[in-house]
Amino acid sequence: MTELLATLERTGFASWLRESGSIWGYPTVLTLHTLGLGVVVGASTVIDLRLLGAAPQIPLAPLERLFPIMWAGFWVNAISGVALFVADATTKGTTSVFMAKLVIIVLAVAVLRSIKRSVYRPGQLDARQPMGVKALAAASLALWLLAIITGRYMAYV
Amino acid sequence: MTATFDAFAIWLRATAISEAIRSEPWLWPACEIAHFVGLSLLVGVVGFFDLRLLGLFKRVPLNAAWSLMPWGKLGFAIAAMTGVTFFVGAPDQYINNVAFYAKLAFLLIAGLNAAAFEIFYSAAVKPSSALDATLPVYRAIAIVSMVSWFFVIYWGRMLPFVGNAF
Repeated sequence: MTELLATLERTGFASWLRESGSIWGYPTVLTLHTLGLGVVVGASTVIDLRLLGAAPQIPLAPLERLFPIMWAGFWVNAISGVALFVADATTKGTTSVFMAKLVIIVLAVAVLRSIKRSVYRPGQLDARQPMGVKALAAASLALWLLAIITGRYMAYV
Repeated sequence: MTATFDAFAIWLRATAISEAIRSEPWLWPACEIAHFVGLSLLVGVVGFFDLRLLGLFKRVPLNAAWSLMPWGKLGFAIAAMTGVTFFVGAPDQYINNVAFYAKLAFLLIAGLNAAAFEIFYSAAVKPSSALDATLPVYRAIAIVSMVSWFFVIYWGRMLPFVGNAF
């Protein structure tokens, strides 16, 4: 495992990202990671707040189009996240905080998919949202907060 | 000019509140976390409203989309307060940093743009309003909003790479 991480970190791409000093290297990838965070967490928060009872005037049906926007933000962050990881694989890859962050992201995406399945099924849209959906929305907000906490922590590893 | 700014940074850094911000090792990371939470709230709520102004999410009434705006403003308030904390805690990191002034410039544009919408078009977003047209000026405001917030984030991210901030 340690050897694999070291090999990753020695690849040309990882070295360039880490050491080139180019504005298109590490700084740009980090900016993409921040923008992706804003898009995925921001769009998810809009849906979560609505499901928890904020802005009840917003109809739920059109909000389904936020999901492709969220997946786009998610993939920007998955790809930029892999790049940031390989640049410092030996230091980041061996910390339990990084493992915790990965688990949190997997759970957050699973919760998003459950929200989409529960809310956007025939007959459900016009009905009152059951407590289970509100619990999912609250879990979604909590998981994104944990993702930001562990993500910020990575900067100090 | 630079000498005056430097003197101000030195004075600010020596104040009790600046020292207090630096003396708690957990405070800076905690503010960073809150800064990102604020950023996410702002991007989500303001971005959603901008997309609505652009003509997406047309089945969401304009005033309904606007009703989430207090959450976007809360996000801005969180990011602004933590941002001021960073500046007061370590003014020397920002005072000669070109990225800092670029970020402030785009913040000013974003703020004036948002204020212009609230001042001139608040009738369209009142709870009772049935005004739902997509005016060209709405599209212009939405584009200025999205571009300026993009550059606020961009220059914020560049702070440690262009200057010496962390």
